[in-house]
Amino acid sequence: MDQQSVKIILDTFKEEGIDLVVTLPEEPTFALTEAVRQDPFFTAVTVAGEGNGIAFCAGAALGGRRVAFVTGVAGLLVSSWALSQMGMVYGAPILILASYRGDFGDHSGIPGSQLLMFKQVAEPLLGALRVPYRVVNQKATLKRMLQEGSFACQDYSHPIVLLLSGEVLW
Amino acid sequence: MKRYDCLKLLAPMVEEHMFAVTSLSTNAPFWFNVRPQGPNFFALNMGLCLPFALGLTAAFPQRKVISIDSDGSLMNDSSSLITVADVNPLNLVAFVFDNSSYAFMGSTFTARRTDLAKMAQGAGIPNSGTVRTLEEFSAAAKQAMASTGPHFIVAKVEPDAGRVAADRSRTSGRPMREWFMDAVRRHPDYQNRR
Amino acid sequence: MKRYDCLKLLAPMVDKHMFAVTSLSSNTAFWSSLRLEGANFLGCNMGLCIPFALGLTAAFPDRKVIALDSDGSLMVDTSSLITLADVNPLNFIAIVFDNGSYARMGATFTTRRTDLEKIAQGAGITKTGTVRSEEAFAAGVKHALETTGPHFIVAKVEPDKERVKGDPHRTYGRAMREWFMDAVRHHPDYKGGKKGD
Repeated sequence: MDQQSVKIILDTFKEEGIDLVVTLPEEPTFALTEAVRQDPFFTAVTVAGEGNGIAFCAGAALGGRRVAFVTGVAGLLVSSWALSQMGMVYGAPILILASYRGDFGDHSGIPGSQLLMFKQVAEPLLGALRVPYRVVNQKATLKRMLQEGSFACQDYSHPIVLLLSGEVLW
Repeated sequence: MKRYDCLKLLAPMVEEHMFAVTSLSTNAPFWFNVRPQGPNFFALNMGLCLPFALGLTAAFPQRKVISIDSDGSLMNDSSSLITVADVNPLNLVAFVFDNSSYAFMGSTFTARRTDLAKMAQGAGIPNSGTVRTLEEFSAAAKQAMASTGPHFIVAKVEPDAGRVAADRSRTSGRPMREWFMDAVRRHPDYQNRR
Repeated sequence: MKRYDCLKLLAPMVDKHMFAVTSLSSNTAFWSSLRLEGANFLGCNMGLCIPFALGLTAAFPDRKVIALDSDGSLMVDTSSLITLADVNPLNFIAIVFDNGSYARMGATFTTRRTDLEKIAQGAGITKTGTVRSEEAFAAGVKHALETTGPHFIVAKVEPDKERVKGDPHRTYGRAMREWFMDAVRHHPDYKGGKKGD
């Protein structure tokens, strides 16, 4: 993720009142989570497992904080148990940014068949968990998608996932 | 101490019919460099290395199974330590290369308050310890390979100097699995359960 | 000692502006019968009680947040202890009722080799303890409520004699959430509800 996308995301978080950002670091979104850590506006929390992460976000969100969780498809898979509870059962308003790995052109260190799996599984997984999501792959629409995602989050009182891809991610 | 030097010391201790399982991270290409032959399962994603190795101990109870994990990976699913303690497999030797880093993405919890050997002891694995020098590593590895386990050894290593290129056809995903299953099917102890 | 007796000792010590989060298990039914006022998040499924309570500390940093967990639930995700140690919230208290059982489905790992307090210490939590009598329990929770945390207490209790269920309209799922959010929205420290909510 380049600094242009990072800036759009951080500025929009601030406008939306999102001041708590939770993550377990992963490569494609590292520039973002690192920028969050350096910016005194945000409380940055690192979790040991993404399951803890989603449950933590739910406690903070229902308690009144505006919170974002930054992860990847792998993290969505790990946290699917927590997502099933915190989403469908409790409707916790958590804005989730997840790197949509595995499209052609992802030459990262993750094994190829894992990348293939991430790409194939991500959308059906979110569908199965009844978590509304949108794929965001253009810088021109990034800000609007963040604003609408944040609004939907509060409006539906539900987790919302933005799957980041294309020029937004790479 | 350096991860690669430890793995180089370990490789000759691992005989041809022993199993090795690695996490994602430089564990995979480094291990492939030092022990390319034999049944090796490379590059398991976060939290999966130790439990997968544990499963292998159930399939090959007469052979040492060596788990080569990383701190971030283990901490993703530290409950696996409880399962290991309870299954209590005599043939498991679990290493955790603890460089306190998530690849190049900052420090992990072991740089701050977390002590993985202590967590393992709490889980119920009595043979748990931490090593910080090559001499300590060598002694601990030798002892683990020569006695009944399970053994849990945390090796405190420096962060890696740079990225390491790997032959993805040997250390990655589905292609890697083919090489692993080939070694498994030829293994003298393999019992094909239909 | 009995879980119910411990919770009965705890309930009057918890003031109305403190938070409680319970795991699935008789923690939920017992606690809901003992503490009816205040914000209680009840019936968290396996592995979610402690991290959810941890998140609440970020929303209400000036109030004690008490997680009432069970051994089986915690063991699904002990990584939450690593996160807890690192976040290090001063207002957090975890009490793990360790009866060594998965409901009525047999013994858990704590009856064999596993020591949850030791795992917590390995994770990096320093204020830990294991209590086996009501006196020790009362002293432990009193201390935790009066001093900065995070505190982690394992309470060794007998398995419950019968199944106890709470009122499903108050203690589970979406219905429970309504009661919880009502208490949260009326809490003097609540900072939510801004920006067009």
